[in-house]
Amino acid sequence: MKRLKHSAVCADNSFTTQSHSRASLRMLLFFAALMALLALSMLLGPSGIGIPDVESPSGSAILSLRFSRLLMGMMTGAALSASGVVFQALLRNPLAEPYVLGVSGGAGLGATLTILAGTGVVASYSLPVVAFLSAVVTLMVVYGIASQGSSGQPSVYSLILSGVIVSSICSSIIMFLVSTASVEGMHNVIWWMLGSLQPVSAGQQLLSAVLLFGALAGIWLLSPRLNALALGREMAHYQGLHADLVIVIGLLFATLLAAIAVSLSGMIGFVGLIVPHVMRAIFGPDHRKLVPLAALGGGVFLVLCDAVARTLLAPVEIPVGVVTALAGGPFFLIILQRRMKQAWIA
Amino acid sequence: MMQHDAMTFRNVSAGYKQRKVLNNVSFTVREGEFVSLIGPNGCGKSTLLKTAAALLKPLSGKVELFGQDVQHIKPALRASLLGVVPQKIESPMAFTVDQIVMNGRISSMGRWGTPSSVDHDLVERSMIYTDVLDLRERFFTELSGGEQQRVALAMVLAQDPKIIMLDESISHLDINHRQEVLQILMNLNREKQMTILLVSHDLTLSAGISDRFLLMEAGTLVKAGTPVEVLEPEVLSRVYNCDLHVQQDPYTGYLQVTGAIDSLRRRQKLNRSVHVIAGGGSGIELYRRLLIEGYDVTTGVLNRLDSDAEAARALNIPAVLEQPFSPVGSDTIAQALKMVGDSDIVILSQVPFGSGNLVNLTLAEAALNSVKPVFLADGIATRDYTEGKAALAFSTRLMQSGAKVWHSMSELMTHLQQQPDR
Repeated sequence: MKRLKHSAVCADNSFTTQSHSRASLRMLLFFAALMALLALSMLLGPSGIGIPDVESPSGSAILSLRFSRLLMGMMTGAALSASGVVFQALLRNPLAEPYVLGVSGGAGLGATLTILAGTGVVASYSLPVVAFLSAVVTLMVVYGIASQGSSGQPSVYSLILSGVIVSSICSSIIMFLVSTASVEGMHNVIWWMLGSLQPVSAGQQLLSAVLLFGALAGIWLLSPRLNALALGREMAHYQGLHADLVIVIGLLFATLLAAIAVSLSGMIGFVGLIVPHVMRAIFGPDHRKLVPLAALGGGVFLVLCDAVARTLLAPVEIPVGVVTALAGGPFFLIILQRRMKQAWIA
Repeated sequence: MMQHDAMTFRNVSAGYKQRKVLNNVSFTVREGEFVSLIGPNGCGKSTLLKTAAALLKPLSGKVELFGQDVQHIKPALRASLLGVVPQKIESPMAFTVDQIVMNGRISSMGRWGTPSSVDHDLVERSMIYTDVLDLRERFFTELSGGEQQRVALAMVLAQDPKIIMLDESISHLDINHRQEVLQILMNLNREKQMTILLVSHDLTLSAGISDRFLLMEAGTLVKAGTPVEVLEPEVLSRVYNCDLHVQQDPYTGYLQVTGAIDSLRRRQKLNRSVHVIAGGGSGIELYRRLLIEGYDVTTGVLNRLDSDAEAARALNIPAVLEQPFSPVGSDTIAQALKMVGDSDIVILSQVPFGSGNLVNLTLAEAALNSVKPVFLADGIATRDYTEGKAALAFSTRLMQSGAKVWHSMSELMTHLQQQPDR
């Protein structure tokens, strides 16, 4: 609305209005495509494309299973992708994402411990909480290591370097735990690590959904400040932001999102790194638009990947993390190559 | 006239963890003043700006903006009082110019970050002022350095601050846009009483537009006052460590500071050789300055592997060399005496003396005997490691026979220029 009003102010500048309407058209197409893809993923099954017979009990069960996987995919994809957007903005680095900073690794370690230690209801509720707490601890460790020797703010490079190191330490510990676990525990952890959108308990889904919306809303409120921080902490400070506070809050929200994703679906890579870039390439870097669009895009992308994962070699199910990179990679590369100019210039 | 104090530094020391950069700086900039902050590279100008903008907390003392301690002003209010245009801004992401300039309104927008019509008007006006309206749909990252600087200025103007500080922000601009930006700043200064603090390396340009100058040297404020008061050739030459001239333009009355071109011209006329007695790295700066001024330089006796010997080799300076870590022998002294015989002037650097290189002082003695000017670096007593302070005694003798003492590089260069031609 504001944009429209703004373009009316400079009505003589036809280029402005024209590019605005082109942006609106692009947005419209994007939403239409998302709806179509979501519908398609509801129709895709091991038996090919088709609407299951809703009248029959098995048909409605299939449909409800597909729907809950769709919800799982939407939540996980949205969390990963939005988390990536925030990490990339705050660190001003195109490689930043939950995995690179060790946040996912930390959440994974916490989740592994929970899976191995507990069973049943307690475990399923505590999983997101433990994942978040261990992710926050990991982030603090990474930040602490990176800050050593620098006065105040750590450099992005030392953050990423210490993130990569801490991340590998976390995965080594996970491997160690797996190798010493009981057969059943090992099975649970490995399945979970491969990443899958098997629906978790309704309670955990609800908790995750609440946290997810909370974190997304928080990030969206931060989004104008993320724009300002793109010019660096110093400039943001001059423009009257509590720059350090925004960075800390942003990192916490992004960590929470990563933890939600990990506790829901295990370790699914690629989404948090690449979806933000693609969305930025298509819609520009303004975070007020980018945050919701990346969340939506990430969710739908993961849902679609899951549909492929359970259909392609049916009845065998491919881990969805494999599909995200294998199928999504080339597709996104093409988009990025054509529109890199609008994504990231560094 | 209003004349509130816009910015006040009260005994401010500031810096980083291990390094104090500002040392007990005090000054006041009154509202509506146009002030230029000058000083050589690394003297603390940027640190001063960062401290003024509360990006750095003073180690002691305090900074006030319009009477309030800047450390206690809310960030949004601070942004409405003080805007900073940095040396360069970088956006890794492809924001349009429009979006970049809108960042200037970030702290005034509501919680939801939606710009009001006031915000849009201010953004538009700033872009018109800085002549970037045509660029509004372009990606900031694609613009030239000068265009980016103007966008940065537009962004800070959109903040609508009472004070603007520019950190060498106009040095990247081409001449017409530099004049334009300065014109904008002068208009804001005149019409809106905006206070301007400009970090500048162009002393002549600043002299034409500034009410006052602040001159910094090595973290301290050396001089504050009108351009005429601050732009004194002696002070500037010392602070900038080079020969500078200040002239008043007969037509405009503006002060003009020049230097480099004179030295270049002189360089071609010089046909004089200087022998430098150095060692332990004390000669490097001398070699550099003498070569820049256009002298033929020789040096020795030095030990091989000594950093001065390495520097002489790198600079193609003829040098007499002794074996590493050995006392200077009679053969090498004889060679060096021949070199001194061919030179016009002998300069002794701030070289420490021990028993091994004490004999180098005989070179200076020989020069004095053949009526050549000799210049000794000040403070031999503190560098004399010989038994019985032999070097100090020797140098006192040299001074009695007519050797002069130099204290700073610029003083030495002035002495050298005053030497009559051969």
